Amino acid sequence: MPDPRRRRLEIRDVTHVYEGKTATRALDGVSLDVFENEFLAIVGPVGSGKTTLVRIVAGFLTPSSGVVLWDGAPVAGPSPERGYVFQEEAIFPWMTVRDNLQFGLLAQGVPASEREKIVAELVTLIGLEGYERAYPKELSGGMSKMVEVARVLATDPAILLLDEPFGLLDAQTRSKMQDQLSRLWEEKRKTVVLVTHDIEEAIYLADRVVVFTPRPGRVQAEVVVDLPRPRSLETRFSPAFLELKRSIWKEIGRA
Amino acid sequence: MNGLWRRRLWRALLSVGALAVLYGIASEIGSALLPRRIWMVAHYLEDVELLPPYRSLLEETVFLIQSGILPRSVLVSTARVFEGLALGAAVGVPLGLSMARAARLECLLDPWVTFFRFTPALALLPLYALWFGLGELSKILLIATAVAVVTLLGAYQGVRDVPRVYLEAAKSLGASKGLILRKIVWPAALPQIFSSLRIALGLAWVTVVVAELIKATMPSLGYLLALAGAYPRVPTIAVGIVTIGLLVLACDAVALGCYAVATRWMKRSPAHA
Amino acid sequence: MRPAEAARPPKARRVWLGLASVVALVAAYTLLSNAYRVVDPSLLPDPIRGVLRPQILPPTQRIFDAFVQLVGAGASPVGGAYVHTGDHIGGLVEQRVTLQGSLLISTYRVLIGIAVGGSLGVLAGLLMGWSRAVDEYAHPIYILFRSIPPLALITYVMLWLGHGTAHVLLPIIYAVFTVVVIPTYHGVRDVADIYVKAARALGAGGRLLLSRVVLPAAGPFVLSGLRYALIIAWMTTVGVEMLMADEGIGYLLIGGGMWSSRLEVAGDPAVIVVGIVALALVGYAMDAGVRVAGARLTEWVKR
Repeated sequence: MPDPRRRRLEIRDVTHVYEGKTATRALDGVSLDVFENEFLAIVGPVGSGKTTLVRIVAGFLTPSSGVVLWDGAPVAGPSPERGYVFQEEAIFPWMTVRDNLQFGLLAQGVPASEREKIVAELVTLIGLEGYERAYPKELSGGMSKMVEVARVLATDPAILLLDEPFGLLDAQTRSKMQDQLSRLWEEKRKTVVLVTHDIEEAIYLADRVVVFTPRPGRVQAEVVVDLPRPRSLETRFSPAFLELKRSIWKEIGRA
Repeated sequence: MNGLWRRRLWRALLSVGALAVLYGIASEIGSALLPRRIWMVAHYLEDVELLPPYRSLLEETVFLIQSGILPRSVLVSTARVFEGLALGAAVGVPLGLSMARAARLECLLDPWVTFFRFTPALALLPLYALWFGLGELSKILLIATAVAVVTLLGAYQGVRDVPRVYLEAAKSLGASKGLILRKIVWPAALPQIFSSLRIALGLAWVTVVVAELIKATMPSLGYLLALAGAYPRVPTIAVGIVTIGLLVLACDAVALGCYAVATRWMKRSPAHA
Repeated sequence: MRPAEAARPPKARRVWLGLASVVALVAAYTLLSNAYRVVDPSLLPDPIRGVLRPQILPPTQRIFDAFVQLVGAGASPVGGAYVHTGDHIGGLVEQRVTLQGSLLISTYRVLIGIAVGGSLGVLAGLLMGWSRAVDEYAHPIYILFRSIPPLALITYVMLWLGHGTAHVLLPIIYAVFTVVVIPTYHGVRDVADIYVKAARALGAGGRLLLSRVVLPAAGPFVLSGLRYALIIAWMTTVGVEMLMADEGIGYLLIGGGMWSSRLEVAGDPAVIVVGIVALALVGYAMDAGVRVAGARLTEWVKR
C-alpha cells in the first residue's frame, strides 16, 4: 500500500545465516519499511530472528544478503542516530544513574552544563528524582530499564530500536513500563521499532504490528493498530484491542 | 546480622585464644622434655629450643625491636615487596589489557605468557643474580616478574570477561575507542585486576623471603630467617615467621579493602554478605 | 551474559602467529648471543659490553650443548676421586646430576605435595564449607596459617625433621594445602548449597549427599584450585630445593645446595636456561593433564 509519509528505514530482502558447526538460517528474505514517527512492533516466537533483524538495523551485524537503508543510505556499523535498548541488562553498573544518562552525551562531546540540563530533564521524565547519584544496584529492574531507555533518548536518536526491553521483568512491572513508554512516546513522537514476543505489549504500544514466522524468520502478516491514543488500562480491555489480539493469534496459528 | 557477626567474632577469638593457650602449655612441657642437642648433617647443634616458651619469645621480640633489627628489616622487606608489586603491575596490567584488546598481539605474546606462567618465578633467581648482579635490582625484578605474570593474566581475563552488551551499548551511544577503554573496559575489568593484585601481593611475600638470600645483607626479613636458621635460634625464627605472617595478613587486609572500595558498585551476592 | 567475544583470528592463524613469534625471537637471540664472535665486545660502549658476553647471554648452541650434557651426565665417566671444579656444569656432571633425574625427583615431590596437601586441603575446605560451626572456629586459624609463606618455615621444619626427605616435602604440602582450601570451601558453601537443599528435600542424606551432590557441585572449583596449587607446588619445590636440598631441579639450577654462599659463585646461564625451559614444559604438561582429566570429570559443566 502506498504511504504518503516519509520513509526512514528500508529493509530490502534481508537474509541472515549464522555460520558455525551447524549453520542456522535466522532470517529469510525479510522486507520491511518503517516510516517517520511510526511505532512499529515485530512479534514472533523465540528464535524467529526478530532480534537478529534489529541487530542488523542497529549495525551490530552485517546481513548475509540484502540491504538495510537508513534515510536512503546503507547502514554501516552502530551509530547514536539509531538508539538501541538491549534485552539484557545493559545499564553500566559501575556508573551512577547520572553518569549512565549522560554517557552518550559525553561520547558526543556535549559540554558539561548542557549535559547536566539534559540529565535533569530525563530524570524528571522517568520519575527518578533523588536517584541521580545512586548506583544501578540500588534500582529495581524496571527502574534501571527505564534509565537505559532514557540514556538512549538523551542523545535524541532519529530512531529507537527496542529489543525485548521488558523481557526480563515481571508481568506487573512490565505493564507499568509499557504505560510509561507509551506516555513517553506520545510526548516525544519518535520512530520506534519494538521487538517482542508479547502480543499484548505489541498491540498496546504500536501503530503497526508485523508478525514473524518461526525460524527462519519471514514476515507473515502485518496488522495496523488504529486504537486511539493516549492509550490506558481501558485500551487493554476494549473490544477493538481484543479483536486485534484475536487476529494476530490467528495469524500465528496459521504459521 | 549483628548478632551473627558477634558470634563469629566470639568464636574466632575463642579458637585463636585456645590455640595460644595450647601452645603455651606445650612449650612449657616441651622445654622440659624436648632435646636441646640436635644432630644436623655433620655436627650437633647445641641449646636448641624447639618450642620456645612465651618468655623467650617475648625477650627475643624486645631485643629485636630495641636493637632496631626487626623494625628496619620490616621496612626494607616491605619496601621491596611494594616496589616489586608496583613495577610488576606497571608492566603486567597494561600488557594484559592490550593483549585482550588486540588479537594479533595476543597471538604473538601467547606462547611467552604461557611460558612465564608455568615458570616458577623463583627459578629465575640464579639467572637474575647473574644478569642484574647481587644487589637490589635482582631482588626487585624477581618479585616484579612474579607479580607481572599474575596481574597480566588478571587484566587479560578481566577484559575478556567484560559482557559484550556493555561494549555494544557504549558503541551504539557513539563512544570512541578511547572512551570505551576508559569508561567501560577499565572499570569493568578493575575488580579482576584488583583480585589478581591481591594474589600477586601474597606471591610477592613468598618471593621476597627467598630473593633476600641473594647476597644477603642485614636489615631484611628473609636474611633474618636464614641467619636464625643457621645458628639456629628458634625464638628469632619464630619472631621472624610471625612478623612475616602479620605483614602478609595486613597487606591482604589492605588489598581486600581496596577491592571493596573499587567494587562498591557491584551487587553482592547474598551468600557473601 | 555473553562475554565479549571480539573477532578472534581463526585457530590455525593463532597457532601460526604464535609459532612465528617463538621462531623469530629464538632466531634474534641466536644472532645477538653470537655477536661477540663477530665484534670484539671490549670495543663496544659500556652497558652493551657487559651484556654481550657468552657468560651472560649464552649462545643458543651452548644452551643446546648444556642440554645434551645434562641429559647424558649420568652416563659420563667419573674421573677418579671427586674434584671440585667450581664450574657449574662440570660440578653437576661430576655428581652425575642429570636433567631428567632432577626433574623426576622434583616432579615426585610436587606430586606428593599435591596428593597429601591436596587431600588435606579438600577435606578442610569440605568441613568448613559444610558446617558453619567448623567454619567459624577454624577459619580464623586457617587465615593465620595461610599468611605464613611456606618457604619461611623451612629452617624451623628442618630442626624438627632433620636434614632428610621430610623437611623438603613439608613446605610443599603446606603450600598446596593452603591453596586448595578456599576454592573447595567456596564450592561447597556457595555453589553446592542450593543443590544440597534440593537433595535434602528429596530425602537424600549422609554419604549419598556427599558423593552425589556436594562433591560434584564443588568439583569444578576444586579442580581450578588444584591447577593453581600445581603452580604453587612447583614454585615451592624449586624454592626449597634451591635453599636446602641436595637433589632436584632447584639444586641443578644453582649447581649445589646451601643457599647464599653458592649464589655468589657465578652460575652457568646455559644450565639455568635449560632448567627453566624444562620446568616450564613440565609445568605446562601437568596443567594440561589436570585440565583434560578435569574436563572429563566435569563434563556436565556448561562451557
